[in-house]
Amino acid sequence: MAASLPQLDVAKMQMVQDLEIEMMSDMYNRMTAACHKKCIPPKYKDAELVKGESVCLDRCVAKYLDIHERVGRKLTQMSLQDEEAVKKLQGEMPKM
Amino acid sequence: MEESKIDSSVGFSPKEMDSLMKYFVGNNCKYREQIIIPRTVGPIHIKSIDEKRVEAVFESCAFKSLVASVMGYGLGAALGLFSASVSPNITAPDAPQQTAREIFRDLKFSTLSYAKNFALVGLMFSAVECTIESYRGKGDWKNGTYAGGITGGLIGLRAGLKPGIVGALGFAAFSTAIDYYMRH
Repeated sequence: MAASLPQLDVAKMQMVQDLEIEMMSDMYNRMTAACHKKCIPPKYKDAELVKGESVCLDRCVAKYLDIHERVGRKLTQMSLQDEEAVKKLQGEMPKM
Repeated sequence: MEESKIDSSVGFSPKEMDSLMKYFVGNNCKYREQIIIPRTVGPIHIKSIDEKRVEAVFESCAFKSLVASVMGYGLGAALGLFSASVSPNITAPDAPQQTAREIFRDLKFSTLSYAKNFALVGLMFSAVECTIESYRGKGDWKNGTYAGGITGGLIGLRAGLKPGIVGALGFAAFSTAIDYYMRH
């Protein structure tokens, strides 16, 4: 399910774009490091990717992106729950 | 408790943060025209979709087995021709001498027979090896050994169980030796 951005002004959009670039490049770096470590054995006999290695890389990238999305969704869910809990506490506090 | 003032010119409210997170991490499937790749050493070449399709065909298991079977056909033809031309034709002493046509026919049969066998073996071995490699996801020496074992076993099983096992072991050893020779 695609999420759309809320309406933001120029300064905030700038920040959003910076954040997005930073996030994407960080994810790319981590993904290449992890999949390289998993799929490509350290002894190189050939400069080209063998078929087995390229199959492994395809699977690694697919899994990584899937997990990335799921963990992100779970995180937003948890942060929403946290926020509601905090609001509830704030609502109760003035009574005390 | 006083509500902490969020400086709206600098930060995001929690609600905005939530929708931002969903936007960043969610599976948006956006078609990005400019993909930002971190700078590494050397030029970065992003392959077009056509290039990828062509490469997918040329690296597929089917194409590789086809190429292997064609090469096997050629090798088998050469070997068959050679072996037929050096093998003696024993005929009865009072039979008429063989004409050139008969000799050529003999050569042709031998060539075709060898070629077909080699093509079949090459096709089977290459297909099995490619499938095993795709399944395992690794490209080490064991693929050749397993593929040789299966191919030798299939060929030998035509003659019975024991020849099947012997064929499997022999072909696996042969395949391992050839791989070792090719890589070192």
